[in-house]
Amino acid sequence: MNYWDIFKKGIFEMNPIFRLALSLCPALAVTSTVFNALGMGLCVMVVITANNMVVSLVKNFVNPKVRVPVFITIIATIVTLIILILEAYFPSVYKELGLYLELVVVFAIILARAEVFAMKNGVIASAFDGLGMGAGFAVAMLFIGAFRELFGTGTILSGTSMALQVFPQSYNGPMIIILAPGAFMVIGLMIGMFNVIGEYQDKQAAKSKAASQLTGQRSEAV
Amino acid sequence: MAHDAHDDKNSSVFKITLNLAITCFISGIIIASAFAITEPVAAEQRVKAKNDAMKELVKEAETFKAIEGKEGWYAALKGGKVIAYVVPANSKGYGGNIEMLAAVTPEGKTMDFKVLKHNETPGLGDKMVEPKFRNQFANKDPKDLEVVKVPTDKNIQALTGATITSRAVTKGVKEAVEAVAAYSATQKK
Repeated sequence: MNYWDIFKKGIFEMNPIFRLALSLCPALAVTSTVFNALGMGLCVMVVITANNMVVSLVKNFVNPKVRVPVFITIIATIVTLIILILEAYFPSVYKELGLYLELVVVFAIILARAEVFAMKNGVIASAFDGLGMGAGFAVAMLFIGAFRELFGTGTILSGTSMALQVFPQSYNGPMIIILAPGAFMVIGLMIGMFNVIGEYQDKQAAKSKAASQLTGQRSEAV
Repeated sequence: MAHDAHDDKNSSVFKITLNLAITCFISGIIIASAFAITEPVAAEQRVKAKNDAMKELVKEAETFKAIEGKEGWYAALKGGKVIAYVVPANSKGYGGNIEMLAAVTPEGKTMDFKVLKHNETPGLGDKMVEPKFRNQFANKDPKDLEVVKVPTDKNIQALTGATITSRAVTKGVKEAVEAVAAYSATQKK
């Protein structure tokens, strides 16, 4: 498996939110606007990549019996570093995401990738795995955030300099989309959509396989 | 007990403890050194953020002077005269404490307020920071700081779907205004 394949699988066939249904908590809590969703997605991408690299570097020194506490310590260290840096040099981002950043420590997807992938693979492969999974997470957050912000409040990217009023100011969206239950529905519908696409792709693959087998048999007959 | 020799050697309590202790020690050192570098910058940012917040509330002010005996209170000065007081205001909203700074004239009228920290519902309660709601507070007597649900010039119109937040903000600002009015009365004597 080359690095591109490792990167790609995190976005499509093993998308953390839409396919593995991991880390749904942030997907509910921080996706009411695109800005928050994307900020969180990028933070997770950085943490998961850094953590994968550190874990794959130190994997031979970690006693298997305490690997989970050690991983959590590593993740907590990385997250704390990011918080310190953001607070000092990017106060506006820190102000928006500060509340949620500490929760990144216990996101299931980060621990899962350390355990499943980084523990068994080299540094570069682990970095690509982290980047791919992080990108998949960020893209999923972006989709959910865009949908909820567009239909909930009628804007896109509010809170940034590129804020766009898509629907007129008088648009009063269904309140449930802004609240957590609405997020659940949006995620559910998007998971369903991903499954339909996945099934269609499987069918196409099966069809082309059958077709190639058929032509194979014909050529044998001839 | 069917442990093989290798497993026994690696899983002694001492080895496990040492492994985790070393990890924590290293991460402690890393965090401590990062903190030592970033903390002075962060402290500077906090002071700057506070000054910016006060400057935004009272635009004409030249300097801000801390008031002795009142924690977190500042007097906004212009040409040596007090033109406004900037005081912290607190109130319990829908999702916890709302921390604000309120600007009040020496006559005890509201000027403006700024939310420093809150945990209100995104998309509903957090609209309290938008001008449409915020501008209603300019130049109001404390007795007019009441939340109503119909459009109004005299009182404060509640945010759609966020009545609790609207009430909380109004209550916090009102308390701050009353405190300043009482303080300002003692200053004049």
